[in-house]
Order: sequence, then C-alpha cells, then structure tokens
Amino acid sequence: MSTLTQNDIEIATRAADHFTRLYYTTYDSPTRVDDLPNFYRPNSALTWNGKPFEGTDGVRELLIGIPSTKHEVQSFDCHPIPGSQPPNLLVTVSGIVTHGKGPSANPANTPRHAIDGHPRVFSQTFMLAPDPNAPPTKSGEVAKYYITADAFRFVG
Amino acid sequence: MTEKVVDLWKTWVTRRWNAEARFLNLERMGQDDWLKKHRLNVPTSDPSSKEAQVILKIASRLRPEIETISLAHNGFTSGRIMQYLAHYLPKLKNLSLEGNNLGAWREIDYISGKRGRLEELRELILKGNPLRELEYKNNRAQTYKSEVSRRFPSLEILDGEPVARVGFDAPSTSTSTPAHPRTMLSTFAWNMEPSFIAGVDGSLVSNFFMRFFPTFDNARRDLLDVYAPNATFSFSANTAIPPRARILGIHSSKEYPHQRNLAWGPWLEGGNGGSRNLGRVNGLQKVSQSLHLGHEEIIKAIAALPLTQHDVAGSPEKFSVDAFPVRQGEQTNLLITVHGQFIEKPAEGIRSFDRSFVLAIAPDGSRAKQRGWDVIILSDQLVIRGYSLHDAWTPGPMRVQAGDLLPSPGLQQALAALPMPQRALMQDVILRTRLNFQFAEDCLKNNEWDVDRAVANFEQVQGNLPSDAFLPQDAFLP
Repeated sequence: MSTLTQNDIEIATRAADHFTRLYYTTYDSPTRVDDLPNFYRPNSALTWNGKPFEGTDGVRELLIGIPSTKHEVQSFDCHPIPGSQPPNLLVTVSGIVTHGKGPSANPANTPRHAIDGHPRVFSQTFMLAPDPNAPPTKSGEVAKYYITADAFRFVG
Repeated sequence: MTEKVVDLWKTWVTRRWNAEARFLNLERMGQDDWLKKHRLNVPTSDPSSKEAQVILKIASRLRPEIETISLAHNGFTSGRIMQYLAHYLPKLKNLSLEGNNLGAWREIDYISGKRGRLEELRELILKGNPLRELEYKNNRAQTYKSEVSRRFPSLEILDGEPVARVGFDAPSTSTSTPAHPRTMLSTFAWNMEPSFIAGVDGSLVSNFFMRFFPTFDNARRDLLDVYAPNATFSFSANTAIPPRARILGIHSSKEYPHQRNLAWGPWLEGGNGGSRNLGRVNGLQKVSQSLHLGHEEIIKAIAALPLTQHDVAGSPEKFSVDAFPVRQGEQTNLLITVHGQFIEKPAEGIRSFDRSFVLAIAPDGSRAKQRGWDVIILSDQLVIRGYSLHDAWTPGPMRVQAGDLLPSPGLQQALAALPMPQRALMQDVILRTRLNFQFAEDCLKNNEWDVDRAVANFEQVQGNLPSDAFLPQDAFLP
C-alpha cells in the first residue's frame, strides 16, 4: 500500500480550499443548472437528503427541483486517500444554507419562533477522483479532478 | 484630499495604465518625476496615508477590467499598503511585488487573510523580498512555496514557476453568462428521505455502527483492529451556532440543562493535534499534525478526545445514515455518512456530529476479520458542531418560507406520474396557487413553463376562476 507524502497532504489541502470555494459559488449562481454538472461525470453517484441521483444528468435534475441557495461554509476538511496516485480526496463540509429569500420573505404574521425561512445546517461529503480522460489543461496541474461521490444532508 | 488632488491621481493612473494589456504599472513610484512635479505624496503604509486607497479606487473603475498590477520596487516594508487591494480589485489575476522589502507572512496576509483575499489570483511574484530570499538561502524553498500556495488556492504561477495543484472543470465565474435565463422554484420538488443504503447489505452497515459507536464510547483502544494500518483520521469543530437551534432557544432551555457546561476548548485543542477545520487552521505544521495517519496514531488521537456517549441502540431516530459504493482505481469501497448526536462527558451536554467513513470489506485473515469486523476503515472524518434537533431529517416535504403549503402524500403520488422537470414545475405552481392539475398545466403552458410568469399570470386572473379550478384542502398537509 502506498503511503502519503507531505506533498500529497499539501496539495489535498489546497485543492479542498479551491474546490469548496468554486463549488458553492457555482451552486449559488443563477447559472448553476448549466455549470454545476461540470464538476461531475456520467458515473458519479450522489444522494441529496437520502434521495439518489446519478451523474451529470442527475445533478441537473436535482438542481431544477430546488429553490435558489446561499451556502456559507463554516468548516471543511480533506484527506488524501491512500491507494492510488494521484490519490482520491475525501472532503467533508459543514455549513449553513439559506433557500429562497430567507427569513425576511416570511409572511408578516409569522411567529417569532418559527424556524422556516432561516438557514439550515448542511453536511456534504465528496469523494474527488482524478479523471484519467481529462488531461491537465494548465502547467502545474497534477490532474483534473471530478466528483465521483457526493452525499448531502440537512442536519439542523 | 481635495478634488483637485484626486483628479491629478486620476491623470497619473491613466498615464500608468495599459488598457490593451489590462495592466496597471505602479512600479518605482518614489522615483516618478511626474508625481514629484505635481507634489503628490507617494503612498506609504502609514495609517494616515490615503493615497493607496485613492489609487486603488481609481483602478477599480478602469475599463476593461484590470487584470494585472505591478507594485515592484517600491521599497514596501509593510503589507498594510495593500490592505484595500482585495476590496477594490477582488478579481485581480496577476500581482508583482518584486524587489520590495517584505519580510514576514503577516504582510502577505493583508491580501490573503480574513480581512480580504485575492480569491482569483493566478500569478504572484515575490522575488527579491527577504521573505522569499531568506527561505531560499536556508534551503527552505519548499516551505516558502507551500506557505504562498496555501494562502492563494487559485495560484497557478509563483515567481515564474508553475504551482503543483489539482484542477477542476469549473466555470470561470467572471466570464460565465446565463445560457438562458431560468426561474428557480420557490418550493422543494424533493422530499427529505430516510436513510439511503445501496450496494451493500443494510445489516452490514447497522452491525458496524452497533459495534463501532459503543466501542468508541467505552473502549476506544479496542478500535485498533478496525482501522486499516494506513487509515486516515481527523476531526474538526464547527463552532458556529446553528441558526434554527438558536431560534428554538435550545442552548438556554430548561429541557437541556447541561448545554451551558459545554466548551469548545477540549475539541479545538484536544485529540493530539487539535481541530482540523481547514478554513481556520493556520500553518502547515498544524495541517499535518491534525491529520492522523495509520491506525496507531489514530488510536492515540481518538483516545485524547473528550469522552462521548452515542445512543445508537436506544434512539435510532436520532441518527441518519447514507451509504453507497465508490470506485477507487480497481477497488470498490463504501462511502458512509452518518449524522447524529452524542452526550459529551463530563459536561453531559449534547453535541451534534457528522462522520464520514470510507470502508472496505475486511480481507480474510486480517486482524479485523479475526476480531469479527466485516469491514475495515480506510478513512474517518468527524465533524463536531453545536446541537441541532434530529427533526432536521424527519422524512417528508420541506418548507422554504414560513406559511408555505406542503403537498399531501396523495398529491405527490398523483404528480409522480409526470416526468421531470414538469413534475417539479407543476408542484411549484400548485403549491403557490392551489390550482388543480388542468388549470396549473394550462397556466404553465401559456407562460412557456416559466413558474414565476405562470404565478404572476394567475394572480391577475384568479378572481375570475371557478371554484373547481382549485384543489380541495386535503390536497395539502394541515
């Protein structure tokens, strides 16, 4: 079994930082249905709150069915997974997400203690893998990664 | 600063601007004869000096949008002079700081820290600054490169050399324009679903958890065999207060008297290396120390975490599990995510957690197999966060805004016959108007299947609609 080098850990850390930023910016944009599927491939497996979807078409279908979003990442972590070179990356994200227009768009007679409209806590786990069919497009790129698995849930 | 002086700066910036290259040359400002002639003060890092801010503000209005700035050879000793750079030019692609006198990472943090970060920086030049040259002299070039690239995840070229990194097929946020305008739904087309387990026998997953969590609670050292010899583990604390739990007043509620005894310290500092929230962790050393490699290191780390009590057997509804196979090279592993809660000892307060495992079937003859584990853990990432109720994953339809109608199971069943995306669009219009299928469909068809237009159209004509245009009350949840 291969072991991880300091370099693997550094690249993984930076990749996770870059990835989470790009991913949620794209997710929250008005063009998400066109753009977010680019992070996936036809064989990607994902679940959204326990409902399974498959591949880029599945992502598109999922996104059509949810209101606009605003994600705020509060913590994230990433491991290179030993076993292949370059290694797969396991990324977990914890944060909050507001759907639609948020609490200010609740009806005027909404009780003060109503939680609807307020941000939900979400948890999302990604497995990122190098795509052998997508050659690096820029110098310095060790590989082009895509989301091979994605498990998402509202958790608060 | 007077308007006249600002105008002089505008003239000067224009002189230094190359629109074709989208390049603003702010090199050697101290030697600029034009500035001397007009008696303009060269920007300094003195807090009272407003020149840097004025120049950047003018720069932010240049068209086409600025891509490159050179601040080379200005003798800067402090990064404070750049404190407004990320604010005024957040999309800056290339920056040269060559030949200045920057000596510490905190100077760079003015453009990479919490107060502002150049999120899209592609190329950076720091040659000729003590910060770089001393590291090179001491054979610490790799540390230097790591420290820079850690600060700018988007960086591709540093001091003229490519930066090793991972790429993604992501749209460039600045160039992407909508292929066609889309209206987004105001409601969820999808329900919250129960635990999803695929590609593996459900009992394998439940057997694993029924043994893993009690062992984690009572005898962490006994987990040595279930972690693979080259497994990875880390934990991170999300210390933000969950918005819905805050509204419900859980932290101060009499029902949860121990919440106030909880403190983040044992998680932030504990576990042999501390919390690994990569959004917060500073410094490469901490990033490495908080990632535990190999089963022996993992056991040491988890043994040094606060004690826990997960009631997986008594209250399964307080846990949610999704599990499905993932391919890794030739091998197929299992990705399992579990969400739930535990009591933290000795505070006795409740924490929520998310835990992601990559599992493999335990090989025959392995120590794990000999000890009765069906699987081994390749990777384990734990997130600890403020307590939220497990209602979050109660199956069924979900509201967006307060007062939203929710579909009854009968209505959802009737809609299920429709293909996507029609089903989602129909449900959205029905929930917003109460129209029956026929009227909802006509309304959408007349408005090119744009839900917002359909609802606006409905609002104009609703007074003239017959009462049988609407669904009965029992089509919606009470």
